[in-house]
Amino acid sequence: MTRVVLPLVVAIMLLPIGVMVVVASAPAGSGLDGAGGLGGGSGFGLFANIAEMFASGDFPVYFRNSLILSSGIAVLDVIFAGAAGYALARLRFPGSRALFVLVVGTLALSPTVVMVPVYVIVHQLGWIDTFQGMIVPSMMSAFGVFLVRQFALGLPEELLLAARIDGAGEFRIFATIALPLLRPALLTLFLLQFLAQWDNLLWPLLVANDPALWPLPVGISQLQTQIGYDIRLMTTAALVTAVPPIVLMFLLQRYYVAGLTLGGVKK
Amino acid sequence: MRLARPAVMSGGGQRRAEERVGGMLALPAMLFFGVFWLLPFLSACYLSFTRYDLAGTPEWVGLENYRRMLEDPGFWNSAQVTALYTAASVLPAIVLALAIAVPLARPGRLNGVLRGLIMIPAVMPLVATSVVWRIIYADGGPANTVLGLAGLGPVSWLTDERVAMWALVVMVTWKHLGLFVIILTAGLQGLPRDVYEAASLDGAGPVRAFFSITLPLLRRTLLFVLVIAVVGSMQAFIPAFLLTGGGPAGATEVLPYYMWSTAFSFERMGYASAMAMVLLAGLIVLSLVQFRFLRGGADD
Repeated sequence: MTRVVLPLVVAIMLLPIGVMVVVASAPAGSGLDGAGGLGGGSGFGLFANIAEMFASGDFPVYFRNSLILSSGIAVLDVIFAGAAGYALARLRFPGSRALFVLVVGTLALSPTVVMVPVYVIVHQLGWIDTFQGMIVPSMMSAFGVFLVRQFALGLPEELLLAARIDGAGEFRIFATIALPLLRPALLTLFLLQFLAQWDNLLWPLLVANDPALWPLPVGISQLQTQIGYDIRLMTTAALVTAVPPIVLMFLLQRYYVAGLTLGGVKK
Repeated sequence: MRLARPAVMSGGGQRRAEERVGGMLALPAMLFFGVFWLLPFLSACYLSFTRYDLAGTPEWVGLENYRRMLEDPGFWNSAQVTALYTAASVLPAIVLALAIAVPLARPGRLNGVLRGLIMIPAVMPLVATSVVWRIIYADGGPANTVLGLAGLGPVSWLTDERVAMWALVVMVTWKHLGLFVIILTAGLQGLPRDVYEAASLDGAGPVRAFFSITLPLLRRTLLFVLVIAVVGSMQAFIPAFLLTGGGPAGATEVLPYYMWSTAFSFERMGYASAMAMVLLAGLIVLSLVQFRFLRGGADD
């Protein structure tokens, strides 16, 4: 029975995606109205709609900004959280205990709780309406440090020890031996952070008043508040925004699941 | 500066090398978490006892903000809305996710494909999600079309006070279901197979096996899903922000949303910080559960 029921359940879950594709494929001037009714016009307009959207000036800017923010933050998180996670797991250094407490404490805190003071800090730094104002406060995640630390704890001690006996310095051991072994964890972190930032609305909305700096979530949400917006183009924009994370998820599904289940599944 | 390095470093030399490199690798993280988490956390504690509007300097008012909260109907409304929203968007979703995960965890190519497809709503950005669900909930949209087929009248999903919260809950349940399913299937696939074989030899049916083997063994994973779901829902206000704007008449104004408006629409940073402290107190109780549970994982 489940051979029928499960595909059916999944199909029902995907119905809203179908609605999105249908509306995004409506031909121009097909009489889509503010009430969401579909009607008039005929033909398949998806590609024409996408072309129209990318020609509209604002959208390519939002798209580019989203790419800069998401990949920038994900790369920075991989570099810095990766380094700190490895150090916490494999090296004894002064302050390691304090850093660990700080990271675990941060995991328990919520961004909502510190949003006001972080905004005040960014404001006082003069970073309102700048890329660094959007990037720097998110450039490292406690989750990332924790994930890499957990993974690095499992690295085989013999490999690191052998390198030490060969006279390799600690930094060289990190760069040439540990980093390649940490790749699955770093890839997981990159993916999760990219997806999170691609969807980040709140912080850019606070920091960027200048539309030239808006990423996709801010641009689309601002369009949505305008009366009489074009549902057809708006939905096309939503569809195009949804494609990169979906493709990434399918390409890196294994890493994605590994990151999600960290701590949730007994190994 | 070392002139010649011995083949194997002495204990002291090795320790110094670790301290130097470890400190170097960890320094950016120490600075970052200090400046963007510890300092803001301490400031939030301090600001919660002040009146502060960004333009001037914080003015100490003692417990005034907390006192005001007790008498503020907006705060009480948002606290209630948050509790309802959290309960309604977590519990049905987990039960549903479990019902889907148990058959979906079985091996097979079709199941593998379905596991990927079911994740699509979860990785879709919330803005895209809200664009779609605004269409679904529109006056002439698919939700009302389906109701019409059942002979029921159209509903103003997002503007009717009695319905808006439930419309929101349906959307976030749809969005999070795949995430919960995937975590649960991963947990289910890690369960020992021989227990089930022994149970079926003893004549236990699938229902019996579910309640007396699967549920107890899956407890940790279920608890994990429950905690991330609750903590996530308590802080989530973007769905309300995008779909209903907190309306109608505050019916979907969750606490973080009320806090956000207090801080950034009315520039009452002190009062907003006091609310953040109350929210944090709620979250800490749940986080303690989470950490006890995560630490348990390292032991067994």
